[in-house]
Order: sequence, then structure tokens, then C-alpha cells
Amino acid sequence: MSSKRRRPIVRGLYPVAVGGLLLVVLFPVLWLVLFSLRTEQESFRMPPRLFVMPTLQNYVDLWQGKFLRAFENSAVTATATTLLSLLLGVPAAYALSRAGFRSERPMSLWVLATRMAPPIAFGIPFFLIYKELDLIDTRLGLVVIYLSFNLSLVIWMMRAFFDGLPRSLEEAAYIDGAGVLGAFVRVTLPLCAPGLATTAIFCFLLSWNDFFYSLILTRSEALTAPVAIVNFMNYESWDYGKISAGATLIMLPVVAFSLAVRRYLIRGLTAGAVKG
Amino acid sequence: MHDPRFGRRLHRRQFLAGALAAGGAVAAGRAATAQTRRTTIKMMQVSHAYANGLTAQLGEFEQKTGIKVEIDQMSFPVLNQRADLELASGSGAYDVIQMVFIRSGRWIRAGWAEPLNPFLAKDKDVDVPDFVGGAMAPFRRGETIYALPWLADSTVVGYRADLLDKAGYAKPPQTFEALQEMAAKIHTRETAGFVTQDNLHWIWPNWLISYGGNFFANAPDDLTPRFDTPDAIKTAEMFATLLAKYSPPGGAKLNSAVVHAIMHQGKAAYYLDGFGNVQRIIDTTKTQLADRMAFANTPNGPKGHFPQLAVHGYLINPASKKKEAAWDFLRWAVSKETMLKSALEHGHMACTRSSVLNNPEVKKKFIWRGSDMPALHEAVMKRAGEGYMAYRTIPQFPPIGDRVIIALTAIASGQTGAADGMKALQKDAEALLRKDGAPMKG
Repeated sequence: MSSKRRRPIVRGLYPVAVGGLLLVVLFPVLWLVLFSLRTEQESFRMPPRLFVMPTLQNYVDLWQGKFLRAFENSAVTATATTLLSLLLGVPAAYALSRAGFRSERPMSLWVLATRMAPPIAFGIPFFLIYKELDLIDTRLGLVVIYLSFNLSLVIWMMRAFFDGLPRSLEEAAYIDGAGVLGAFVRVTLPLCAPGLATTAIFCFLLSWNDFFYSLILTRSEALTAPVAIVNFMNYESWDYGKISAGATLIMLPVVAFSLAVRRYLIRGLTAGAVKG
Repeated sequence: MHDPRFGRRLHRRQFLAGALAAGGAVAAGRAATAQTRRTTIKMMQVSHAYANGLTAQLGEFEQKTGIKVEIDQMSFPVLNQRADLELASGSGAYDVIQMVFIRSGRWIRAGWAEPLNPFLAKDKDVDVPDFVGGAMAPFRRGETIYALPWLADSTVVGYRADLLDKAGYAKPPQTFEALQEMAAKIHTRETAGFVTQDNLHWIWPNWLISYGGNFFANAPDDLTPRFDTPDAIKTAEMFATLLAKYSPPGGAKLNSAVVHAIMHQGKAAYYLDGFGNVQRIIDTTKTQLADRMAFANTPNGPKGHFPQLAVHGYLINPASKKKEAAWDFLRWAVSKETMLKSALEHGHMACTRSSVLNNPEVKKKFIWRGSDMPALHEAVMKRAGEGYMAYRTIPQFPPIGDRVIIALTAIASGQTGAADGMKALQKDAEALLRKDGAPMKG
């Protein structure tokens, strides 16, 4: 059989291969969602059944418990952190990219200081400082912590995007009468929209999924969803129904956000991959 | 002359009435302030039915004392982390904290538990002798009491009487050797001969101590590890064999929820675990096999019967600024009345008070197919009070316990042999204890 005749068959197999791969990758997520829609007995049935009458009881239980408060805390802290990180980090990245400081290199390096050690290394110092400042178990406390970690991410990611933009675009804007701020807001930022979207998603994810700082710096008022889920591991038994329902709910905003900006996300992730 | 532009003239009677009303409002305001200023205390503990019982009864307590209580329930990993941080940092954010017995050594040594004797001297109605000996032991150091117990989990056996009967066993095996034989006889692809939960450092000592072994030479005075002794190696091998050959797949790593589901579905014939957990496998809302279950003591070894006991209590945080209120809550939380209600209304059977376990209503509620569960539980608590559980309350126990689990899992999964695994554990434990300056005379 000639290679020309084989090609359509091989091409026809691509969707099957992609579908199979997707199934393998997404199976744990699918199983999690299925778990959340089953009773405990059904979840642990051996052999498991794929199709059963779904129940929303686990979600109802979450609704009636304290989980919603934790979910709200996660949403508020992650959103606030993302916005503040972009607000402070993007101009900083632009300055580092364009201003040509003499100490630009060491400054860029020191920005990464908060990421040079694992979070646990900062845990006790932060706890003690927060105790003195009365910031334990507050949303503000979490936002400040997440900000300190996200800023370095924003600065380093956005700086790479700004470096990739030709300065001549801004110079053209200056000739047209724009100031530094005007050129930055009207010319540079719109061109970096994919980078902003990618950075925003990473910022959001870092705060949204944080477990460690929420574990040690909150008690009950500012507790976030990832820790609230772990608290369904009761002494007598683990409440897998609530754990999976909570995990499903935690995934939803991230999936929705990622889908909303997916066009920018792909461009942002591949920016600079090919240079003409 | 009164100017009509400024409204009606104020008469003396109206002025007096107004003054009275204003005075009343101020008084009411002060009363309201006093109400809002009433004492509020916070308590942290693991998520458990007992805490649900307390929460349900809190209204009554608050009405009687005017003390408002906030109970934070959390999982064990979260509790361990947070309690350590709160206590180590001297934060008084939580007034009452669950004392996990395997941490009692470290916490008491560090001064993280307020001695309760001055409070107990004032309030004789607490009736400390009513707490069964084994439940109090982890929280006493000499005459000083640092916590009062609310939960005692004693190891017992839950078994499918019908399956054992079919295999020719009128009653469950009395020795660990017989247990292994029975498990081998019953075990099939559909029904495992044995199952237990993954907290192996708590289950294995049932074998270890009854064969004459122990974690340490003589806790707490001589903490020379004893993991490489013939008894330790033999029992590790026996235990690992049960997990590897006669348990459901993944036998060494089954958490309690999975184990309960296995028992609910009839996928195992014999279950060894703490009473609080065993009790859950007869939850009639989750299984139709409950009426085929029965309960018994754990088997014996050549040196006797050494069931294990896990105890949890409540301590007063030394950094609390409301110790009196914390004490009022603590003594109420473990009082006979509160514990009785928790047993009868919330199904909490792993009680620590003898009076509750011997209450006729409790007996009636918890006797299952002829198995007198309260009596079984009390007997284990009394037995554990004889002192063989001291190995679990030394300050270095938590990291040693973690290493025991790792070693047993490696043996059960075939990554290493019993002798090599236990020798490696011995070296690891020696290094850890030496680093901590633990007394080792061996």
C-alpha cells in the first residue's frame, strides 16, 4: 500500500487519538464530577457503575454549611489580588523594560526574592508578624501575602512581553503628542493584551489554589475554599461527597475564566515562540 | 414671649417625660452594651459527632452562663498544624483546644496546657474518677491534670458473623495466628479476609505488644527504639501479610471512608479498628448487612491482650485571657449530662465516663446482636490504664509514628523485607531520638 493511500486513514485516526488522550487526561476530573453527583454508597460501589441517578444532595449540603463563606473568601481574595498585582506589577514591569536603570538587573533579581524559597520558609515569620498586626484571619491579610508572591510573577512575565514590543511604536506615539503614560495605556497595553490575560490567569490561579497560607493565616472568618474542603475529612470518616462537590465548585470559576480569555491565553503563551 | 416660629412651647410635664424616656434609652443602651460585651470564647477541635452534639446543646449552656462559645471544627491535618502554631506563638485566639493524646507529651513539656488542678479543686462536681483510667492517663503527669477526655477510641473487632459461621467459626479467632488462618480460609476475590484503616502505627501495636515487643525499651524513661527485635520483625511480617495477602487491593493504604464502604458492601469479613469507626459500619442507613455484624475483643498474643486506645481531650490554652470562662465551658463539655446526651442523641459511643457507659439507656442503645459494646469499650479503657500505652505520649511520638507507617507500608507492598524494613526503621528512629536528646539507655 502506498504512503499516499495511507495518509487519509492516518489522518482519520487523529481525532480518535486526540479524543482518547483527552479522555485519559480528563478522566480524573470527570470522575470527580460524577462523585459529586452520587450518594456515598454509589460512589464506593464495586464494581462502579457509570450511569446512576444523579443527586444534588452534596451541593445542597455545601449550600447549607459554611462552605459558601469560604468560597466567597476565595473569590474575593483571588480577585482582589489579581487586580492589585496587575495594577502595581504591570507599570513596574514596564519601567524595568523601558527606563534603562543602572541597577535594573539586580532589581529584577530581587523582585524574585519571595519566590526563592518554598512558602513554608516564610510561614512562621508571616504568622508572627500578622499576629502583631492583627491581620490573622482577615481577607486583607491574605491579599497582602498573595500580592507579595504574585507581584514577582507579574513583573517577570509582563517584562518579557514589553521587551518583545518594538520601542518604535511608542516613539511614534510620542511624535503624535502622547506622553509616556498615554503611550503606555493607548499603545503598549492593548498590544500586550494576550500577556495580560495569561498573567492574570496565573495570578488568579496562584491565589485561588493556595492552601498553605490559608491554612496557617486564617481561622474561621477568612478561611478559603481549599482548606474548607480538607475540613470535610472528619475524624470518623471522610465526606467524599462534599469533598468532590466542593472541588467541582472550585474548578468552575477557573474554567469559566480560562474559557473567557482562551483566545488571548493561547496567543499569550505562544508569544515570542517564533520570531520573524 | 414665645416665638411661634420656633414651634410649640415645651411644657414642664413634656420635659419630664422626655427626660425619663432619654434616661430609659440610656439604661437600655447600657444593658445592650453589657449583652454584647458578654464573654465569648473560641474552641478548636477535629470535626466529630461529639462537637456536633456540643453545638446542638450550646444554647442551653449560653443561657445558663452567659458565655458565648464558637466551636471551630476542622480536619486532623488542619487541627495539628493550627494548634501547634496557635500554642507555640502564645496566641490566645483559642481558649479551649483539643489535646490530641499523641501530642500530649510535647505540648505538656512545652507548657502549652494550663494545669487544671486549681479549677478542679474548686469544682468537685466534675468527678474525675468517673473518667476511666486509660482515658485520663495521657493527660496526667504525676498529680497534675492537663486536659479532660471527651473521646476514647479503643481497638475492637467487627466481623461478619454469617461469613465466619459459614467458614466454621462460631466465634472470632482468639489469637493473631488464628486470625491469620481464618483470613486465609475466608479470603476470596469477592470477600477479603481482613481489613483495617491506614493509620498503621495504631493498628500494628495490637500485634507488637502482645508478642512482647514495643516501640521503646521502657517509655518514657528509656526511649531506646525496639524496632529491630525479633518480636517487632515477626509481628511486622504477620501484619504486613494480612495487609498484602488477605485485604482488599491497596490494603495498607485504605482510609477509614473506604474501609467503611468495603464493610457496608460486604467486601470484607473482619475489621479491626477503633470503636468510633467500627460503630459506623453498622449504620443502617448505609448498609443492609448491619444485622450480620457482631463485635468482639481484639485477639491475644503469647504475652496477653493489649488493645490500643486513642484519647482526645480538651485543654485550656495558657495564653487565654478568659480562663475562667474556658473552664466553665470545658467542665460542661465533658460533664456527665452533656456526654450522656451526646451518646443518646448523637450516637457518640466512644465515651470516656464510666457512668455514661453504664447508663441503662446507653446500654440498651449500644448492645448490638448480643455484643455489649459499651462494656467492651470500658474494658479496653481500663486495660489501657495499666500503663502499656505510655509509648504513644512521649514528645517524640508523632514523627516516629509517621516513620512506622512508612516502614510497614513498604513491607506490605513488597518494597522491602520485614527484617530489612524494621532495621532501617530502627536506625531512622535512633537518629531522630538522639537528635532530640531523648533518654536512651540501651
